[in-house]
Amino acid sequence: MDGIAPDGVPALRVSGLNRSFGGLKATSDVSFAVAAGTVTALIGPNGAGKTTIFNLITNLLRPDAGEVHLYGERINGLPPTGIAGRGLIRTFQSARVFPGMTVLENVLVGRHRLIRPRPLGHMLWSPAARRAERDLARRAEALLDLVALTRFTHVHATELPMGAQKLLEVVRALMAQPRLLLLDEPAAGLNDTETAELAALVRAVRESGVTVLIIEHNMSLVMNVADQVVVLDAGSVIASGPPEAVQRDPRVVTAYLGEEVAA
Amino acid sequence: MLEFVQILIGGLVVGCIYAIVALGFSLVYRVTGVINLAQGGFCVLGALSGYTAASWLGWPAIPAALLGVLATTAFGTLLGAASFVPGLSRISNANMLMLTAGLLTFIEGLALVLWGSQPYALPPFSRERPIDLGGLLVPSQAFWVIGTTAALLLGLWYLLARTRHGHALRACAENPTAARLMGISVSAMTLFSFGLAAGMGALAGVVVAPTTSLQFDTGGLFTMSGFIAVAIGGIASFPGAVAGGLLLGVLTQLATAYVSSLFSNAIALIVLLAVLIWRPNGLLSAGVARRQDVREEARVWKHITRLHPRSAAIAAAAGLAIALAVPLVVTSEGMLSGIVIAAILFIALIGLDLVMGYAGQVSLGQAGFMAIGGYTAGYLSVQYDVAPILGILAGMALALLCSLVLSVVTLRLRGLYLALATLSFGLLIDSFAVGLADITGGPSGLVGIPSFALGGYSFDSPVATYYLVLAIDVVLIVLLAGLVRSSFGRALQAIRTDQLAAAALGVNVVRCKLVAFAISAALASLSGSLLAFFFHFLSPDMVGTPRSLELVAMLIVGGEGTLVGPLFGSVVLTMLPTVFQSLALYKTLVSGALLVLCFLYLPEGMFGALASRLDRLARPRPAGTMALQRERA
Repeated sequence: MDGIAPDGVPALRVSGLNRSFGGLKATSDVSFAVAAGTVTALIGPNGAGKTTIFNLITNLLRPDAGEVHLYGERINGLPPTGIAGRGLIRTFQSARVFPGMTVLENVLVGRHRLIRPRPLGHMLWSPAARRAERDLARRAEALLDLVALTRFTHVHATELPMGAQKLLEVVRALMAQPRLLLLDEPAAGLNDTETAELAALVRAVRESGVTVLIIEHNMSLVMNVADQVVVLDAGSVIASGPPEAVQRDPRVVTAYLGEEVAA
Repeated sequence: MLEFVQILIGGLVVGCIYAIVALGFSLVYRVTGVINLAQGGFCVLGALSGYTAASWLGWPAIPAALLGVLATTAFGTLLGAASFVPGLSRISNANMLMLTAGLLTFIEGLALVLWGSQPYALPPFSRERPIDLGGLLVPSQAFWVIGTTAALLLGLWYLLARTRHGHALRACAENPTAARLMGISVSAMTLFSFGLAAGMGALAGVVVAPTTSLQFDTGGLFTMSGFIAVAIGGIASFPGAVAGGLLLGVLTQLATAYVSSLFSNAIALIVLLAVLIWRPNGLLSAGVARRQDVREEARVWKHITRLHPRSAAIAAAAGLAIALAVPLVVTSEGMLSGIVIAAILFIALIGLDLVMGYAGQVSLGQAGFMAIGGYTAGYLSVQYDVAPILGILAGMALALLCSLVLSVVTLRLRGLYLALATLSFGLLIDSFAVGLADITGGPSGLVGIPSFALGGYSFDSPVATYYLVLAIDVVLIVLLAGLVRSSFGRALQAIRTDQLAAAALGVNVVRCKLVAFAISAALASLSGSLLAFFFHFLSPDMVGTPRSLELVAMLIVGGEGTLVGPLFGSVVLTMLPTVFQSLALYKTLVSGALLVLCFLYLPEGMFGALASRLDRLARPRPAGTMALQRERA
């Protein structure tokens, strides 16, 4: 199978995922793997089942059949908290920043899983607890700086423009120090500058050793950042491989542009 | 056997009334997704205005009743146009629930002002004597009740299934956006359903009025029963509402006859809890499945204004100085007692704020935990001479245990269903407080509770209690303010708006909610114990469900999600009647109106309004916002 590093376990292995909604097969026998340390793009026309696959991986939807392995560990059936606890963090197609919280607070929530709770220290306003909070804030601000959001640190998250909210969601996910990061159409709603910032961010994320699986429609972004591409059409994987190869694959062209009319 | 049938018929008659109220709930819910708690108030308004028409104008019973129904429908429609419809487009469904609770309080207050607190009964529609059916004595009014219910059902069915208006209503229920695009005015339909439901409630009120006596606050009872009926049957289903109403009526009558009238409520509530756990959508769930977690809507997310740390420190110092000086300035014992009560209630409010303001989980049973704490501590000190502090701790332990059980039971419930479950928990505690007379002293209350004492010092004056409670308040604020600034506090706030996204980041939603509920229950218990020690007395109505609703009102009026904000609500709503002694009659009316107005025009509460004003003074324009505005321009 493509994508498995010769010496290692893949970061993510999806095998035989099936899920139907009523009579509609949203995904049928979807199998692919994401090699550790790479950026893999999941592409396909609208309705191909990309977000469904994300939801199946993160167990927001229960698959009818199939398995999901994260670094060799089976994660099907785990609650969302358990999945996040194992280092698989996702973003949502419609930016789901937490309303009523500032940009900084949003990012800090991302850190939740890694924070050692010390309720007593916080209740007594102990210097250690406050120092830990300050360090955390500094770390969050450093991440916000990567996407040029530092000046909005104390603004309510929902007051940001849509593009900035999507970047904020990515930053929030990064704050969780994922081993595998799932990005669901992060560039949708972003302008060109923001898209460029996002591409730089995704590359930087990979450099830091985080594996990324990204759903994206913006082809130039995909070609720009992806090491591997998995193409989905009507719920099935129709092609996978390096971006250049996939781009030339006749099945992919057909899926996107339709059958050529025979002359 | 004859007796059983007799009871059954009695149950059916009561059940019919519950069913009509439940139908009203269902109707408004299907069009708007909101449970209108004011529903029961319209029953009472209808009956009382019918009474007035009969006694003042000297009209015969039936025309007088009809006039009552018409007047109530008109009034209900006006009320809906002024509050319910504008509220729908502005505030979350969970807060709409509380807005309608405010409307109920407002209606009760209005009835109190207009009709006083004495009970009223209407004359029967036809004849005084019961009708003899082969040994069965059936009151003539029973036929009117059952007949009216049947006619109403038929009329409603015809309206919904056979008229254009009905189709439009159903379209709004299925998909408001699509309905709007089809040229249906959703707000007109909402108003229509609200007014129609008010009319139905009034009709239920006038036909039941001859069989029982009604007073200004009976509306709450109708609301609770209708609410329970509709929850048992299935909120979005008309047949479910009717079935739930009849079932509840028969069940409570049988329980009253064969078990004890004191526990008939408890039995109904246990049935409700069982249904909520086993089939949260009701026994007859409707085809239309509405979103359950109503808090997950984008439009409802108001910002919570918090003070800038610097202003907060100054404000806290100033506040503390004022608080310390209060007994020096306030010399009237009555006033000071009022302030002490407000400060004691504030303890329960801090807990409620953690659950509702921070974690966004509606809790309508907070006073139930106050009752647990108050009665435990009171009973132990009266009966066994246990030291007050140990009594308080025992109460808190019991409250923790109960909150744990309740949380486990309600873990899966959210939004409206959670509100319902906590409400029924509170009502259950109410009925135990009345029913377990050996421990609680029953309706007349537990007497002879000593003052709180610690290490030989007895806090037996209002001033001493004031400083005691103030110290507790300050310590709690400091501890919890520290806690909510930690990752736990942020997790709660994340859960408040988006549980799914929070869980996807590794926030253990269940554990966080459990902890918040537990803290909240323990604080409520502490508050209840202190209340008992302060009054030397505890009765069910001091810590009953009306108190739960009052606490929510205080929270909203003060400003939720701010910890300190509820103090404003507590002081205002407690002191208003003390300050305006002569206007005590208007207390209910004013607090209801205040709650509704706050929801509509001051969603951030008094504290929020104050804080944003202070912050604007301190920092003319926050830098971030300016940069953002530049960006947008």
